Amino acid sequence: MGSHRSGGATLFALSARQVTKRFPGVLANDRVDFDLLPGEVHTLLGENGAGKSTLASVLCGLYKPDEGAVLRNGTQVRLTSPRHGLQNGIAMVHQHFRLVDRFSVAENVVLGHRKLPFLLRANDLEDQVGQVAERFGLPLDPRAVVGELSAGQRQRVEIVKALYHGAEILLLDEPTALLAPPEVEKLFETVRAMTQAGKSVVFVSHKLGEVVDISDRVTVMRDGRVTGSVARGEADTRKLAELMVGRDIDLSPRRSRGEARETLLSLSNVGLTKDGVDRISQVSFAVRAGEIVGVAGVSGNGQRELAEIVAGLIAPTSGEVSINGERVNGVGTRNVRKAGLAYVPEDRLGTGLAPSLSIVDNLVLTRDRGFLVDRKSAHLEAEAFIKQLEIKTPSALTATRKLSGGNSQKVLLAREIFTAGSNSRVLVVCSPTRGLDVGAVEAVHKLLDEARNAGKAILLISEDLDEVLTLADKILVLYRGSVVHEATGDQVDVEAVGLAMAGLS
Amino acid sequence: MIIGNLRIELEPRLSTPKWLYAAVPVLSLLFAFVVGGVFLALTGHSPIGTFSLLIERGYASTKGITNTLGSATPLICTGLAAAFAFRMNLFNIGEEGQMYLGMIGSAWAGIVLAGHLPSFAAVPMVLLFGALSGALWVLLPAVLRAKLGTSEIVSSLLLNYVALNLVNYFIFGSRGMFRDPTTSFPQGRLIEESARLGSFGTTRTYPTVLIAVALAIGLYWFMKRSNYGYETSVFADSPNTARYAGMSSTKLTLSVLLFSGALAGLAGSMYVVGPAGKVDPGLLQIGLGYAGIVVAALARYNFVAVILTAILFAGLREGGASLQISSNPVPISIAVVLQGSVLLFALGGEVFRRNRLRIRRIQQVGVVS
Repeated sequence: MGSHRSGGATLFALSARQVTKRFPGVLANDRVDFDLLPGEVHTLLGENGAGKSTLASVLCGLYKPDEGAVLRNGTQVRLTSPRHGLQNGIAMVHQHFRLVDRFSVAENVVLGHRKLPFLLRANDLEDQVGQVAERFGLPLDPRAVVGELSAGQRQRVEIVKALYHGAEILLLDEPTALLAPPEVEKLFETVRAMTQAGKSVVFVSHKLGEVVDISDRVTVMRDGRVTGSVARGEADTRKLAELMVGRDIDLSPRRSRGEARETLLSLSNVGLTKDGVDRISQVSFAVRAGEIVGVAGVSGNGQRELAEIVAGLIAPTSGEVSINGERVNGVGTRNVRKAGLAYVPEDRLGTGLAPSLSIVDNLVLTRDRGFLVDRKSAHLEAEAFIKQLEIKTPSALTATRKLSGGNSQKVLLAREIFTAGSNSRVLVVCSPTRGLDVGAVEAVHKLLDEARNAGKAILLISEDLDEVLTLADKILVLYRGSVVHEATGDQVDVEAVGLAMAGLS
Repeated sequence: MIIGNLRIELEPRLSTPKWLYAAVPVLSLLFAFVVGGVFLALTGHSPIGTFSLLIERGYASTKGITNTLGSATPLICTGLAAAFAFRMNLFNIGEEGQMYLGMIGSAWAGIVLAGHLPSFAAVPMVLLFGALSGALWVLLPAVLRAKLGTSEIVSSLLLNYVALNLVNYFIFGSRGMFRDPTTSFPQGRLIEESARLGSFGTTRTYPTVLIAVALAIGLYWFMKRSNYGYETSVFADSPNTARYAGMSSTKLTLSVLLFSGALAGLAGSMYVVGPAGKVDPGLLQIGLGYAGIVVAALARYNFVAVILTAILFAGLREGGASLQISSNPVPISIAVVLQGSVLLFALGGEVFRRNRLRIRRIQQVGVVS
């Protein structure tokens, strides 16, 4: 990659030179070059399995490269551990936070610091941590217990921790995955404050939309290789998507193409109280044949409970759910299915599918089985789906856990859309593309769109706002168990939705 | 691990070649014999000579193999009992006690009820009562597990000691109905002759071996093809998926544990209708219930493979016991050492089935800048 500044490699704060890293059966990084300037925000973009997290792990010292070298300020460093990386000013914030829930913010931040006095004086530490947080515009109470913080706040703790330990280069792995839009904005502010102080930030991401705004440069990876590196201003989503996937991708909005018809699913005043807390309160809406109703919201605001109530896994404490006009409160999953409901849960491997069982056996899951299980017809069906939906698998008898996320989701959707029973016309889908590649996202969206046009009533519950905006004809925002905002698909005020998700409307 | 400039690593295999499924148990057996051989040599016995004698007396002679099949019969049942529960991640460790209860239940039926029945019905009835008693003995752990989530490992294990003392009480501690009234020597009262099965010819193999083998094959087929087998496999793999599909975890947990207990109870009744004919404290000495767990583990919880591992184990025991009677007597502990090492190597071999050993020369990282 050519630098726009003159001079040699010494200018780069951090570089990877021809880094190769192998895992059993996978070439995760194949002669990868990467350069990071001081004060730069640089995004590593790629699909799952493209090798971006592996590269980040090599850069921070978690993995040792099989071949190639890591250079810090132009000098080769052999990082032996993340701690060693930190001594060289390199820190990584992982997607899954590595914090001690029962410790305070300050205790978590100083954890692992070598120069701590034998006896800790809490006040001193808290002051120090507070100062670091303030300098970079990170609002954080050093005395708060980490277990009680939101995802966004925990992420701030991780960032403060890295800065406290002297990080000059911060690698953030999928930093926006768990955040609400206003929290994302705050994160970006922090990143700007850091780059102004001369520190560099690497974003590791598979989300196209958000990286373009913040990055000075985007390096795209595919199948373990760098496919392109684009500076700010040259990058547009379409071009980046093509570099990521290797072909043209259609992520434009999809809306209902017909008139929405009769109501198939309706909720009126549904409430759920658990341990004295209202998890769901006064939720009412209807989903008609041929439309997708999208429920947006930050994770943990009652989405899971709402889905489980509709699917019959838990009974609401008040209100009424009906499918095809039939009241289905608390009748159990089997009867809800008989009434015409199909359900794609958020946790696809482990709830929707049995991971160690074959594709065939997973297709059998929601059928009436009788005394002996008829696997012959299921096998034929599985082979038809594999062909039709282009599911990549060695055979129909392969365990679903061996499939990629996109392919196992296709198996689950195939079962719930096509084989759940001829009378199943209501589909509840939860975060169907979470963790999937752009290519797989496109395929799943296409499937849902087709199901809608075939006359199904679809309730889409997703934490991914872009997904809801892309697919839904009607949008509801769920906050602390209540619907706080409603909008129609094409006339959405995205900002209003974002504020509603954060509870600020 | 790094030795010199070699890096030795275990890498997970992406797929296991078919031949390894056969090679790992065979090699573990071989290694176990090597370890046993070292022990033999250290204690002044010829390893080759002892092993060939062991194989002859355990498997390769008519008397050896029929003795082995006889003692493998209840072992197949306890092995099936353990495999059945373990496959569903329910760890029934109480086969030993359930087997004792099976012995007591069968003896009761054989003494009290068998006289009222024609002989073709008496044997099945006695077996049935044994199975029911075994199931009854696991009822409490099963209900606690299904309803309250209490660990079935601890509760089923502790009941083994209760069962053990129950048998001792009936024979040594009281003059109840299980005790032979005709003699002051403490021994069990024989059940009705009509409820007993004779052995094949002069051997010690009883027709119950056919029942045990049929049970293993039937179970294999049933769990592979039936809806019940399907539901248990879903539940074992992912309880959340089972809940999602509307299966009842309570029903599945209860039924699996009760059936496991019934299989273990059947082991006790096969001992009663066959060689013992009574409540026999001799059963307490040989640990067939615990051995069943080992047999099931060795068979990797495959019902048909349980037949083979049970015969292997019974043969080591029979052959090992008879080594005590030879020109240079070998202590029975050698057979136990062998059994232990077979298990150890078989479980250790799993590591190599799942992983591949890689030895690589460490390369110097080339500097490119």
